[in-house]
Amino acid sequence: MIDCRALSARHGSFRLVDVSFVVPAGKYGVVIGPAGSGKTTLLETIAGIVPQTSGALWLHGRDVTSVVPEVRGIGLVYQHAFLFPHLSVARNIAYGAASAEVAEQVARRFGADALTDRPVRALSGGERQLVALARAFARRPGVVLLDEPFSALDPRRRTIVRREVRALHREWGLTTLQVTHDFTEAGLLGDVAILLDGGRVLQSGAPEEVFRRPASPYIAEFLGAENVLAGTARVLEERAPDWLEGEPAPLAHGYRAMEFTSGSLTLYVVGDFPAGTGYAVIRAEEIVLSLLPPDGSARNRFRGLVSELATLGALTRVTVDVEGVPLVASLTTRSAKELRLSEGTAVTASFKATGVHLC
Amino acid sequence: MTVGVGAPPARGAQRVVAVVAAVASSLLLLFLAVPIGKLIGAGGLNGARQLFSDGELRQSLGLTAFTATAATLLGVLGGTPLAWLLARRDFRGRAVLAAVLDLPLLIPHPVAGIALLLLLGRESAVGGALLAAGLRVVGTPLGIIAAMLFVAAPLFISGAREAFARVEPRYEAVARTLGDSPLRAFMRITLPLSRRGLIASAVVMWARAVSEFGAIVVLTYNPKVASVLSYDRFTSFGLREALPVAAVLAVLALIPLIALRTLRGADDGVRS
Repeated sequence: MIDCRALSARHGSFRLVDVSFVVPAGKYGVVIGPAGSGKTTLLETIAGIVPQTSGALWLHGRDVTSVVPEVRGIGLVYQHAFLFPHLSVARNIAYGAASAEVAEQVARRFGADALTDRPVRALSGGERQLVALARAFARRPGVVLLDEPFSALDPRRRTIVRREVRALHREWGLTTLQVTHDFTEAGLLGDVAILLDGGRVLQSGAPEEVFRRPASPYIAEFLGAENVLAGTARVLEERAPDWLEGEPAPLAHGYRAMEFTSGSLTLYVVGDFPAGTGYAVIRAEEIVLSLLPPDGSARNRFRGLVSELATLGALTRVTVDVEGVPLVASLTTRSAKELRLSEGTAVTASFKATGVHLC
Repeated sequence: MTVGVGAPPARGAQRVVAVVAAVASSLLLLFLAVPIGKLIGAGGLNGARQLFSDGELRQSLGLTAFTATAATLLGVLGGTPLAWLLARRDFRGRAVLAAVLDLPLLIPHPVAGIALLLLLGRESAVGGALLAAGLRVVGTPLGIIAAMLFVAAPLFISGAREAFARVEPRYEAVARTLGDSPLRAFMRITLPLSRRGLIASAVVMWARAVSEFGAIVVLTYNPKVASVLSYDRFTSFGLREALPVAAVLAVLALIPLIALRTLRGADDGVRS
């Protein structure tokens, strides 16, 4: 378990301030945040390399606040690998290995065994990351800290290595904390997501929760939410309105039916947000586009004109101008073609009341 | 043609700047190299001959090499931890410590000799205590070593500090997470990665120690190191007698320079 309790640290002029989160034993945590938010400093503080200035750090039920790095039982992999250049690949992997067998086993699993004859200087960035992973895991640590460990790998190798890391994490019962810029990776790997900015934790929790229910418009935008609208929320009524029929589950958890007004738009929302000013967050994939008003149960329906189309491989982002308010929807490129969308096409953008998050 | 703000200078102006720079560099290079070349040319052959015939010169060169080596070893021993501390640790007073360590480079060397005499002379507490312990510093090779150490050690510390600073601290961080204590990480990672820089710094220190005169002459005129012997022959017998000794000393100082050139090249694992 990684248990940070109001952890503060200073690295040069940068400060980590009151960082608190828990990654339960055997779970996989992901740290996300913009560049310079303190992600690497956080890992180095947990590793004991950057000294804490206050707070407490517990690893696997042991207070390691004043424990030196070499006995914390940690494996650390930097984005730039930092392989020891004066040692061979084999000696790098064996450097702190629990045993020669473990070193050999992890080298094989990460595909670093084919590199042992090559000098470190001759390795590519991706190969260096493989060796760095093997070196860290060969120690059989209880806690693994990974700083963008797959960033230099090609997409195919990245998938394989990510799977292998996850497999070792599971087989050895490791607690892992990984820094990533890749939201897909965060969603794929993480049991716990920690969003860091300016040396502070902005939000932590299950990745799904953090992505779908960001605590602030800033977080929503950082996490790639395309539609963040400022406005005013109003509670409709205590009982479930008729348009919520067939969807009683949200109300059962204390959510309320609300109305959110942003400029000329009025959205229907199911949420637990207090009445007053706030922001509505609608992820692009929640919005369905159709040429005619749809038959479905989506409560929010707006007619508008397509103002922009951006094709990103298999997905197309479509911006619809609804009475001056741009709504961005994401649909498959195939669907966009089937709908024959182009700038100026009149469409209906629809999404459910449960697809709107207020913060 | 319109020339905007920040536009590169015209080709003619660039050519003038290049010519001026080339002439200035060439003149400086000649000023630095010609006297040494002329010295070695004029006295080198005689000096080589005298190495066989002149016992005092041989003895003096042996003493110079021995004391410079001893001073360098002491400098490396004490200077390495200091250099590491200055390169790696951020502490209050670091700038002051760095300035104090640079001070011997800045003061006139006879003044350094006088300062050492105050510390190590028989009248001083330290000198008296050393004398009582049977260690006479002034007028012995120990005085030469002390003078060499004082004036040359800052060069080693400065170079070693630079060598340590060029090693990315995250190598040590990784080594720590792989089970190394700070000392073990230093021995296994930092030292091998800064090896070339440390050796180069030690060579520079040695060369500086070999060429020291001002501080040595105050502490220990006799026995004579090569620089003192050269000066002694110049004042006693004139330029002709001083030339061979001076030429041999210049060659002796050139040896580490050649060694340094062979050590050139990028250090392993250092920051670019």
